[in-house]
Amino acid sequence: MDHLLPPDIVEAGRTFPSALAACSDLDTLLRLKGAYVGREGSHAARLMDLLKLAPKEQKRELGAAINALKQQWEEGLKSRQAEMEARKRSRKAQTAGWDPSLPPRVPAQGALHPLNRLMDRLVEVFRPLGFHVEEGPEIETEAHNFDGLNIPADHPAKASSDTFYLAAHPDLLLRTHTSPVQVRTLLRVAQDLGARGGIRFLSPGRVYRKDEIDPTHSPMFHQVEGMLVGHGIGMQHLKGTLEYALRALFGPHTEIRLRPSYFPFVEPGCEVDVSCPLCGAKGCRVCKGSGWVEILGAGLIHPKVLEYAGIDPAEWSGWAFGMGVERMAMMLSQTPDLRLFFENDQRFLKAMGGLD
Amino acid sequence: MWIERKALAQEFPAVSGLEARQLCELLASLGFPVDGVTTREGSEVLDVDITANRGDAMSHRGMARELAAKLSQPLANLTPTAATEGQPVIEVHLDSPACPIYSTALLVLGTGETPREVQSFLTALEAAPKRLPAVDASNELLHRYGHPTHAFDADRIHGAVTIRWAREGELLVTLDGVKRTMTSRDLLIADESGPIALAGVMGGDGTKVTEATRRVLLESAWFDPKTVRATARRHNLHTDASHRFGRGADPAMARVARDLLVERLNAWCGAELSGAWTAGAPPAKGATVRLAVSLLERVAGDGLPLPEAAEALRRLGCLVEADGEGIDVIPPTWRHDLACPEDLAEEVLRLRGYEHIPSKLPPLEGPPEPLSPGYLQRQRLARRLAHLGFHQTVTYGFISPEADAAFASPGNQSEGRGLANPLGQEFSIMRGSLLPSLQTVAEQNLRRGSREVRLFELAPTFVSGPRGPSEHLSLGLVWGGVLGGEDYLSPARSVLEADLSGIARDLGWERLPEIRSLGENLFGFELPVSELPLAEDRIIPAFRPFSRFPAVERDLSLLVDLDQPYRVLAETMRSSLPSDVLQELRCVDVFRHKSLPEGRQAWLMRMRFQADRTLVGEEIDGWVAAALVAAESLGASLRA
Repeated sequence: MDHLLPPDIVEAGRTFPSALAACSDLDTLLRLKGAYVGREGSHAARLMDLLKLAPKEQKRELGAAINALKQQWEEGLKSRQAEMEARKRSRKAQTAGWDPSLPPRVPAQGALHPLNRLMDRLVEVFRPLGFHVEEGPEIETEAHNFDGLNIPADHPAKASSDTFYLAAHPDLLLRTHTSPVQVRTLLRVAQDLGARGGIRFLSPGRVYRKDEIDPTHSPMFHQVEGMLVGHGIGMQHLKGTLEYALRALFGPHTEIRLRPSYFPFVEPGCEVDVSCPLCGAKGCRVCKGSGWVEILGAGLIHPKVLEYAGIDPAEWSGWAFGMGVERMAMMLSQTPDLRLFFENDQRFLKAMGGLD
Repeated sequence: MWIERKALAQEFPAVSGLEARQLCELLASLGFPVDGVTTREGSEVLDVDITANRGDAMSHRGMARELAAKLSQPLANLTPTAATEGQPVIEVHLDSPACPIYSTALLVLGTGETPREVQSFLTALEAAPKRLPAVDASNELLHRYGHPTHAFDADRIHGAVTIRWAREGELLVTLDGVKRTMTSRDLLIADESGPIALAGVMGGDGTKVTEATRRVLLESAWFDPKTVRATARRHNLHTDASHRFGRGADPAMARVARDLLVERLNAWCGAELSGAWTAGAPPAKGATVRLAVSLLERVAGDGLPLPEAAEALRRLGCLVEADGEGIDVIPPTWRHDLACPEDLAEEVLRLRGYEHIPSKLPPLEGPPEPLSPGYLQRQRLARRLAHLGFHQTVTYGFISPEADAAFASPGNQSEGRGLANPLGQEFSIMRGSLLPSLQTVAEQNLRRGSREVRLFELAPTFVSGPRGPSEHLSLGLVWGGVLGGEDYLSPARSVLEADLSGIARDLGWERLPEIRSLGENLFGFELPVSELPLAEDRIIPAFRPFSRFPAVERDLSLLVDLDQPYRVLAETMRSSLPSDVLQELRCVDVFRHKSLPEGRQAWLMRMRFQADRTLVGEEIDGWVAAALVAAESLGASLRA
């Protein structure tokens, strides 16, 4: 039938598939569409004009040929356009979508100081036994820091080489332990101790001693003290409480060991060792191969401490313990240098403190 | 203290059957932990920790006594030939109750050396032998039996010897060559020409034993512990003797130690006794302490049989008399620490072993107390700030006067907050503000490469007052550096003051916080924690009804002067609007650009209205118009 058609259109019909395939975007495709099947000046339009002018006897045959050609072009264009639009949609969907493996935006994360965190944990451990928190000032009187604790007037700890004193107030000092909180609390509750049913509390806090700064010394450090006063309290209650608390801290298989020791404000006094939490008492660098780590000092409250506060030691008795927070933190984390805790490098704080 | 194992075994033979590890554990279980074991002079030497109350244990004999009591095995005999007490060759006068007994002997020295084994014993204890028998013997006795003695060169003593209080300003050159000025509270040994020794602390240089010494006067006395401690501290002269007298020596040892010394000098260098005499007498035996069964059982935590307790105390050298309800105890002369029933109970437990103490939880006798609101508030603040990305710091409470002056409030005099004996000038003032410390820490973090620092501290600050500084819990916070820019969603920008205000607001601080600029892109504020809200008492707050009708938002873009205070404008606009329908009025955008009229900026003010009914367009238009009029009264104009 090609002999009835102009040769350029025949040529255009032959190259249509490759021209269609060569369209890389919608614009080119639309231009191609205009050239082949557009309303004016396109190959199809020209064929329609040809058909109008064709002799009657050829019209039928020519019409069929033109239709076949037009249909072929239209279908080709349509399916190519659909294909291109689908690709465009999917690309759009891709751009709008999100790759879940991209690093997410994480909210800024801060940290509690590791020493505070450890003190908080201790409070948490003692809470179920009914302990609350008592606190006191960092600037104390000699009476609260020493006298009320049965520390003799000529004790070396009182020397200005050991304890910081205030220049304008020679009777005031920076507390050297958190024990004055015991004195303050006992003085406060002495009158209604019976109505309360004794007292049990922890006192975490900052304390000061005149030590030069080095990897194991700091002029300021932290202590947590615990105290319990009740009826008929003996060493068994101290042991029972510490066993509970140290197991809550270090794990259920922890063992504790009491050794006789001396502190003026307790009698009997003891040092408490805990089976090394780092090696499971097998022996390591931290426990120096012994399987035990010294963790705190404790004892039954000296009757003179109770008497000072106006509490009758014939009726009441109790125990007290005190532990160094830095020492415990260093042991648990194996931090090699105490100064890191006071340098406050954000990297250290983030790594060691975290948040619960 | 160093304990040589061989010498320990001489005092307590059962030691030879123990391994070093067993011995260490035994000593630790008695309250004498061993810090280490080394070998010196071919013998094992233990570094034993001795608590301040146990002067009696500061010798080989003392350790042996403890072990013997624990193991119920006998000590070696200690029975020197007693020198016959005779008339004084040199008169001795006791002029102070601080020295109740002074036992002496006068010896003419012969020839001979300190025996080799004694020299190596002293060397093993790091007490260098002097190769002068009189000096070495005294030293050996101190370490072996714990009783300090002294030898004077008798030919350098003038006239009678008196043990008396010093006269203010008297001078004495001690053995270490230091010239010391006495006070009236120092106890002296003096002859008729002046002081010859600081009692219980150190001998004098003028009467010291040398190689030329021919005759020695021995001193074996007992001095009051408090007096010796005070003198040692006053002269900063802490010696082996002062440690032992200061913690309480055994007065009954005064004569024994003298006899031991005489015996040794006789054996070592053929010294001949010219006379032995004693002034005074040991103080009367200690008072009886009664240990009641009830107290013992309470302390021990179980039914400890009385006979077992009595036996333990007897093994420790106590005189014990038991009846049905308790034991009357007279402690031995060497135990000054056994003064109250609890002390005795401890001894019983100690000998029995603390491992036998049962383990029990104390019964709850009353309701547990809640944690205080202040404590809970601090916990909440710290956690909230950590969740907001801030790091809690801990810094020293004392800072330099300069740092303090830059931040402490004007009325807070630093003089009242200064330390008398600081570690250094940079640690000398109890800080009036947390900001200087936080600034230092922030700068350090930025210097070490942090893009951003977020720090806070919760600690007391100090305010001077007539009766001493008062303490106020403060919250200090610093924020600096560059925010964001670390992910594909948040662009990088510098930290701004407004960021810090937002934190203060988040913590419940209603007013404007005073934000201090602490450096380039570094800001901080400090708030008194007592003025921050406490946690509400109610578990759930009281119900406040809220409207179910939709809220309507309207924006007004206003041109205002660059120096227009926002608070004034917002207040003025707010007061022009009905408070019952105005939910919120705030600036949501600030626009400053050269396209705006000079000296002006644009604020986009957003108002939100809501009521218990549907709001009508006209009434809202009316309110917005009123708000504009109010703004215009301050010079604002609607932005075209």
